[in-house]
Amino acid sequence: MILLIALIAGLIVGWALSHWRGHIYQPPELRSEWLAFSAFLPQFTILYLPYFRARASDRVSVICLMASLLIFLGFAWVNRRMPGMRILLLGLALNFTVMAANGGFMPISPQTAGQLVPGEVLMDFQPGDRFGVKDIYLTPQETRFDWLADRFLLPGWISYKVAFSLGDVFIAIGAFYILAQPGLFHIKREVFPHDHVTNIS
Amino acid sequence: MNKTLALLVAFAHKINHQHIQLALVLISLTMLVLGAGAPADTGGTGR
Repeated sequence: MILLIALIAGLIVGWALSHWRGHIYQPPELRSEWLAFSAFLPQFTILYLPYFRARASDRVSVICLMASLLIFLGFAWVNRRMPGMRILLLGLALNFTVMAANGGFMPISPQTAGQLVPGEVLMDFQPGDRFGVKDIYLTPQETRFDWLADRFLLPGWISYKVAFSLGDVFIAIGAFYILAQPGLFHIKREVFPHDHVTNIS
Repeated sequence: MNKTLALLVAFAHKINHQHIQLALVLISLTMLVLGAGAPADTGGTGR
């Protein structure tokens, strides 16, 4: 949700800046989009579809999640020349590192988890239990690369409660910039015959 | 029927390369940020 907000904000800013500068918003050109589809499919199936989520073992979930992140790394690497993608790639690498070092899931400490769910719900959790979609409930002492775990929270005056990692911050900045930058720098491109686009450089 | 078809054809002509490119970019980036990010919110704890 929080990452989607960054994406939508980037699109709005990019579109508004293009409009303000008097040219049509030109979306960035990604390469090998099929990699993103193939990376998302196993993760979506195992983590987001309740039928498979309930039946898949943690081991299968970890294999799908790690394979998915590796393919996403490949996709981001292929598109690394796109402005903003290197920031996103850094965030992805940080998340991959901390998840791989902690059994394949993103660690979250009892202190941070306590800010998201009521205390009585948290009492049912033991270290090593799954928490949320991609997280694992671990004490800071049991966590490798604790500083890369889900440990940041939104300010208290925001009712939406979410914990996020340093990697998530880079991913959000990168995603925002990828969609906002066409409004900042207008690149002259070849115009297709059926496009009624006027390029103003 | 012909009128509906004509409207569909007119709509299809309005969809140019850039609209398709934007849709593809948005879908790919949405999948990328959802797949790469790992924030934990209050929705759904445990398996």
